[in-house]
Amino acid sequence: MVSSAATRARPSLVRRVVRRNEFYLFLFFVAFCALVQGVSSTFLSLENLFDVTRTSAGFAILAVGVLVVLLSGGIDVSFFAIAISAQYGAVKLLLALGISNLAMAFLVSCGIGLALGAVNGLLISAFRLPTLITTLGTQTVFHGLLLTVLGSRAINSSDLPHCFLSFSTANVFTVARPDGPPLGLSVFVPITVAVYLLTWLLIRFTKLGRGTLAIGGNIESARRMGFNVPLIQISIYSYVGLLAGVMGVINVALIRYVTPTTLVGSELDVIAAVVLGGARITGGRGTILGTVLGVAIFEVLQTSLVLLGLSSFWQRAFVGLIIIVGMSITAYQTKVRNARNLVFRLE
Amino acid sequence: MLRTLRAVLARNPNNAILLAFLVATFLVLSFLMPGKFLSLRNFQSMGSQISEFGLLSLAMMLTMLTGGIDLSIVAIANLSGILAALCMKRLIASGVWPAESLLVVAVAVAVALGVSLLCGWVNGLLIARVGVSPIIATLGGAALYEGIGIIVTSSRGIVGFPDRFAFLGNGFLSIFPMPFAIFAVATAIFALAINKTRFGQTVRMIGANPIAARFSGLNIPRTLTRVYAFSGLLAGISSVIMMSRSNSAKSGYGSSYVLLSILIAVLGGVNPAGGFGTTTGLVMGIFVLQFLSSGFNIMAFSPFTQNVIRGTLLLAVMIVGYLLERRAGRVRRGHGRAPARVNEAGEGAPPPAGATPPAAAS
Repeated sequence: MVSSAATRARPSLVRRVVRRNEFYLFLFFVAFCALVQGVSSTFLSLENLFDVTRTSAGFAILAVGVLVVLLSGGIDVSFFAIAISAQYGAVKLLLALGISNLAMAFLVSCGIGLALGAVNGLLISAFRLPTLITTLGTQTVFHGLLLTVLGSRAINSSDLPHCFLSFSTANVFTVARPDGPPLGLSVFVPITVAVYLLTWLLIRFTKLGRGTLAIGGNIESARRMGFNVPLIQISIYSYVGLLAGVMGVINVALIRYVTPTTLVGSELDVIAAVVLGGARITGGRGTILGTVLGVAIFEVLQTSLVLLGLSSFWQRAFVGLIIIVGMSITAYQTKVRNARNLVFRLE
Repeated sequence: MLRTLRAVLARNPNNAILLAFLVATFLVLSFLMPGKFLSLRNFQSMGSQISEFGLLSLAMMLTMLTGGIDLSIVAIANLSGILAALCMKRLIASGVWPAESLLVVAVAVAVALGVSLLCGWVNGLLIARVGVSPIIATLGGAALYEGIGIIVTSSRGIVGFPDRFAFLGNGFLSIFPMPFAIFAVATAIFALAINKTRFGQTVRMIGANPIAARFSGLNIPRTLTRVYAFSGLLAGISSVIMMSRSNSAKSGYGSSYVLLSILIAVLGGVNPAGGFGTTTGLVMGIFVLQFLSSGFNIMAFSPFTQNVIRGTLLLAVMIVGYLLERRAGRVRRGHGRAPARVNEAGEGAPPPAGATPPAAAS
């Protein structure tokens, strides 16, 4: 979608579909769903579908942010530290002011996220620092500052401003069912869809998006082509920060509990899902559709481990295995292709 | 003596700055709390602490020299610790050898080193033979190794080892703590391997310019595989010390050491893009960090505050490094995350002499 290399004569539609990485991801996804459905017949119910889309909304939003960073050839591991800072800051402020206003919560959370993301972008672009090490550093600093300045006390559901609780149960529509309460599609879902659509538009149709891909392809070339690399990098990392702010609010509403010591440390899961979706960590390649599939596969794998009879202790190893196997396949394909085309590259 | 010192410093300004920083921290701490800081006991305690993350920093430096990174060192250390601990427990329970037998200790150490070497070798294969990028391969490896540790132990810690084993982490060789002695020997071997052997030379060349190294006929996959295997092995040595010192093995132990070892490597003057770094610089970096930690503890900073300071220090060191480089007239290319790649089109290659950079991007 973002990086189709179809500059030559266009092959037939079937050819193009079969050649796409996403096609195989989709096949895998369908096959796995069928397997899980075979083991547990409740898997493919409307209830489960609504539930999974609701609980994975925050994860999916961050994933698209990670995709943008990976497209630019960078990596960000500070987004959970940003999300938790934004979330905790917003809740604390609302509590201190004694108001319960969801728009205000989003505004504060996104504001904090944007600012912290901009710090990342500034550091990376102004001093040309390595992105992984820089965001590891800012992750520690952001999280440490949060715990030092705002404290580490958890806020319980009963103390949360009411707006989060009503946001938590808000539905776009509900489906009545004969046995039990009606099923509702959470408002988290359209928010997530909107974020994906916006990101797709940004990448596909704006100079900023083109610049992001150009940086990911070759930063030096992008510089010489006249792209404003610092501005693009600051925009990218600020965008990730903004998305982390959105995720922060959704996360409070989802778990109805705020504690500044969670989330940080599981960044790898999000990166894993995006990489599984075919995004290259070396930059320039990756698609929105791939990310959607990567997130879907990752979520289904994680939630169905228990259904398949494996204890939750297996989750971590499973994540590692997914990454290693998924990446090995794409890396090996690239290696073979490079060797065939006499491209000498170490990645 | 003075002249050689000056020559060394002129050749490597980063180490000169580090040395000054080291002396300054030492003096400040000695001045502020002579009783607490300047005591044999404090130095012995610092010596034991240094060895755990010092060995991990050596591992980090080794991979950074090739332009890679190893984010799985702590996970490898924990997994090898866990498996060694399980072996030791089983052996003692089976009663083949008495609990205080040296053989039990030897088997435990062998298991720890073997497992860590194996894990590192797997990382190396993924990176060198399959072509996965080091960040992803070692992140994935970290999750896998940590996960195996969680499965094996059901996320519980394993505690209580024989006294013979405890000696490795808590014993003394005259006035030197045992872990420090292990660390010193490992560092000496490491320095020799990096500076005096063909392997070390190849490692540097790969980091400095992988394409040139490849066209020079160097066996890059073999060297890279070894680099990650050795990185794992160093983590394994560290795991023996961690286990012995804490008398336990648990997944998730020492997770902050990853960041710390990156910080030390960068502080010690190792270029994350590869090719450059000295063992002397690294060791000074280790000492600076340990002095700072001691200072923080004596001043009773919370762990959160300590992290803020460490993170800020990491960023500050990188920024200063960039500014110094720019003043010296070298413009850094690319992201810096990886060395500028020279691909088939020659992009990323140094510009011809006299080429001017484009005017500020419009």
